[in-house]
Amino acid sequence: METWQMLEYAAWGVSALLGLFMVADWLKTDTTYSEDVLTSSREGELEAMTEEHKI
Amino acid sequence: MANTDITSKEMDGFGPHGTVVGLLRVLGPAHVWALGVGIVLVGEYMGWNFAVGKGGAYAALIACWFAGILYSCVAMIDSEVTSTVAAAGGQYTQAKHIVGPLMAFNVGLYLTFAYTMLEAANAITAGYLVSVVASMTGYAGELDQRPFIILVIMFLAWLNYRGVLATLTFNLVITAIAFVAILVLFLSTSGVLGGGIMQHAALMEGHELPYGWIGVLAAMHFGLWYYLGIEGTTQAAEEVRSPARALPFGTLAGIMTLLIAATLTWYTCSGVLPWEYLGDGVDGSVAPLFDTARLSGSTGLVWLLGFGTLFATLASANGCINDASRAWFAMGRDKYLPGWFGAVHPRYRTPYRSIVFLVPIALIFALGAPLDQVITFSILSGLLEYTFMPLNVIMFRKKWPLNTIKRGYEHPFHPLPAIVLLCLCGITFFAVFLGYGTQLIAMIGFYIVVSLWFHFWRYRFVSRGAQFTMPWPKPEGY
Amino acid sequence: MARYIAPTQSKASQIFDVIFLVVLTLGALFVPLKMGLSGAAKTVAAPEANPTWESLGQTPAQAAQYEALGYTPESAHDLILARFDYSFTTGALLAMIVVIIAYYVLMLKFSETEYREVIAEKFDGK
Repeated sequence: METWQMLEYAAWGVSALLGLFMVADWLKTDTTYSEDVLTSSREGELEAMTEEHKI
Repeated sequence: MANTDITSKEMDGFGPHGTVVGLLRVLGPAHVWALGVGIVLVGEYMGWNFAVGKGGAYAALIACWFAGILYSCVAMIDSEVTSTVAAAGGQYTQAKHIVGPLMAFNVGLYLTFAYTMLEAANAITAGYLVSVVASMTGYAGELDQRPFIILVIMFLAWLNYRGVLATLTFNLVITAIAFVAILVLFLSTSGVLGGGIMQHAALMEGHELPYGWIGVLAAMHFGLWYYLGIEGTTQAAEEVRSPARALPFGTLAGIMTLLIAATLTWYTCSGVLPWEYLGDGVDGSVAPLFDTARLSGSTGLVWLLGFGTLFATLASANGCINDASRAWFAMGRDKYLPGWFGAVHPRYRTPYRSIVFLVPIALIFALGAPLDQVITFSILSGLLEYTFMPLNVIMFRKKWPLNTIKRGYEHPFHPLPAIVLLCLCGITFFAVFLGYGTQLIAMIGFYIVVSLWFHFWRYRFVSRGAQFTMPWPKPEGY
Repeated sequence: MARYIAPTQSKASQIFDVIFLVVLTLGALFVPLKMGLSGAAKTVAAPEANPTWESLGQTPAQAAQYEALGYTPESAHDLILARFDYSFTTGALLAMIVVIIAYYVLMLKFSETEYREVIAEKFDGK
C-alpha cells in the first residue's frame, strides 16, 4: 500500500479519535456536574470587581 | 462585592454575580496579537490575489492601501470600545450595551458566520495543500482531500476544547513563522540580499489598469481579504489578564504587522508573476507567495513558503474556532440563543458546547460549498459588521462622552475615522455588488428574516435589565 | 417600570430554535448556489485562433515568466484573455441601496425600542 493511502486512513482514524474524545468528555462533563454550575458564567465579572468607573 | 479578591487561589474563577466556573484569564498581549494576525495572515498567502484579477496589479495595491485605511479605522474604533467593554463576544457585547439587543443579535451572527466560513475556507485550502505535496512527492493516484480537511477541523477543535492558553500559544508560534517567511521571501527576492528577481515595470507594461478605474473599485471586494479578521482580537477580552492594556496593544500591533505584510506580499508577488496568472486564484495562482518562491529557483524558499502557507491556514482556522465559539457562547449566556450553549467546561474552562456544536457546521461548509462562495459569504458578514462599527462608536461617544467613563484607549480625531470607515464600506458594498449582487441580497434577506424572528419570538427569553452588565452610569439622553 | 421576568424555555423549544437557525443559514448559502445565480464568471470575448505571446498582448519579459510557470500560448490563452463583465443596470443598483439602507433602519429602530426598555429597567426599575 502506498504511503499516501496510509496517510489518508490515518487522517480518518485520528479525526474519529479526536471527535470521540470530545463527545465522550462532553457527555461525562454534562453528567458529572449540575447544569447550574456549568452555566453559571456571567458577563462583566472582572469589571464589577476591579474597575471603578470614576475619573 | 468590593472585597472579592480576584487573585485568590481558593476562589479562582468565582465572581460576585455567582459565577462558579468562568473562562480563564491567562492571556497576554502577545496572544492577542497572535489571535488577530493569525486569523488574517492566511489572506496574504491566498485569496488577496483575486483583487488583482478584478482590476490589475495597481488596482490591487490601491485596494490594499484603502482597505488598510478601512481596517486602521476598525482597529482604532474597536480598541477604544473593547478596552471598555471587555467581555467574550466582543462586538456582540459592545452592540448590546451601546446600540441595542436586536443589533447585538445580528452582530453575534455576523461574527459566528464570518469566522465559521473562514474556518471552512482554511480547511479547504489546507486539504488542497496536502494534495499538492502529495503530487510533488510523486504520488500518482488522486488524493482524497476530505480526510485531511476533516482532520484539520477536528484537531483544532480538540485543541480549542482543551484550553485557550495552549491554543493561542500554538497560534503565536505558527503565526510568527508564517510572518517571518514573508519577510525572508521579500529580502531574498527583492535584491536586498543578493540578486533580485523583481521586474514590476516589465510585467505591468501595457497592463497598468486593464479594467480602467472601475476595476479599482471592484478590487476593493477582495482588498478586504488582506486584513479580514483583525477585529477578532476582541473575542479574547474575557480571557486576557489585563484587557484595558492588552487589547488595544495587541490589536494595534496586529494591524501594523498586517499593513507591512500586505504591502510586502503585493510587492513580491506582482514583481514576479504576470497579473492574469496572479489574479486567477482558481485556475492560476492559488497560493501566490508559494508560486513566487517556486519561480525564485531556491528549494529552501519553496519549502519555507510551503510551510508558511500551511501554518497560516492552520493559525487562521484555529483563531476562527476560538472566536466563533466565544461569540456563540456569549449569545447563549444571555439567552439570545438557547442557554444550553452558555456552559463552561469546569476543568478546561472553555465554552465546550459551543466549540463542539460548531464543528459539524464548519464541516458542512468545508465539504459542501466551493471556495469562492465560502470566502464571499465570509467577506459579506464582515462587511455588515464594519458598517455597524461607525454607528456603534458614534453612539458610544454620544451616550457616554469622554469624561463619563474611563477608557483604556481613546481613538484620535473622532468622528473622522467613523466617517471614513462608513464611506469605505459604501464603496466595498458597490464592489461586491459588481460581482456578487445576488449573494448580497440573499445574505441581507437572511438577516432580515432572523431579525424578525428574534424581535417577535426569541427575545422573550432574554432578561431585560440584567443583560446590561457594565458598571457604567446611565447613558445620556435616556 | 415592572421588572420583566423571562420565561424558562423548554428543551424541545431550544432544540427547535437551533434547528431553525441552522436551516436558515444553509438556505442562505445554498439556495443562490443551487439556483445558479451566484458568482461572477469570467468570459473570453474574442478568442485567438492561433495564439502567440504577441497576439495575446504579452511582452517578452511577461512571456518569459509564463514559460517559467510551465505555460504555452495555447494553455495560457483562456487565463490571459478572460475578463469580468462589470456592466450593471441603475435599477439593480438602486434596489441594492434600498435593501441595505432598509435593513439598517429596521435594525436600528427595533434595537432602539428594546434598548429603551433595558435602560429603563436597569437604571429606574429597581
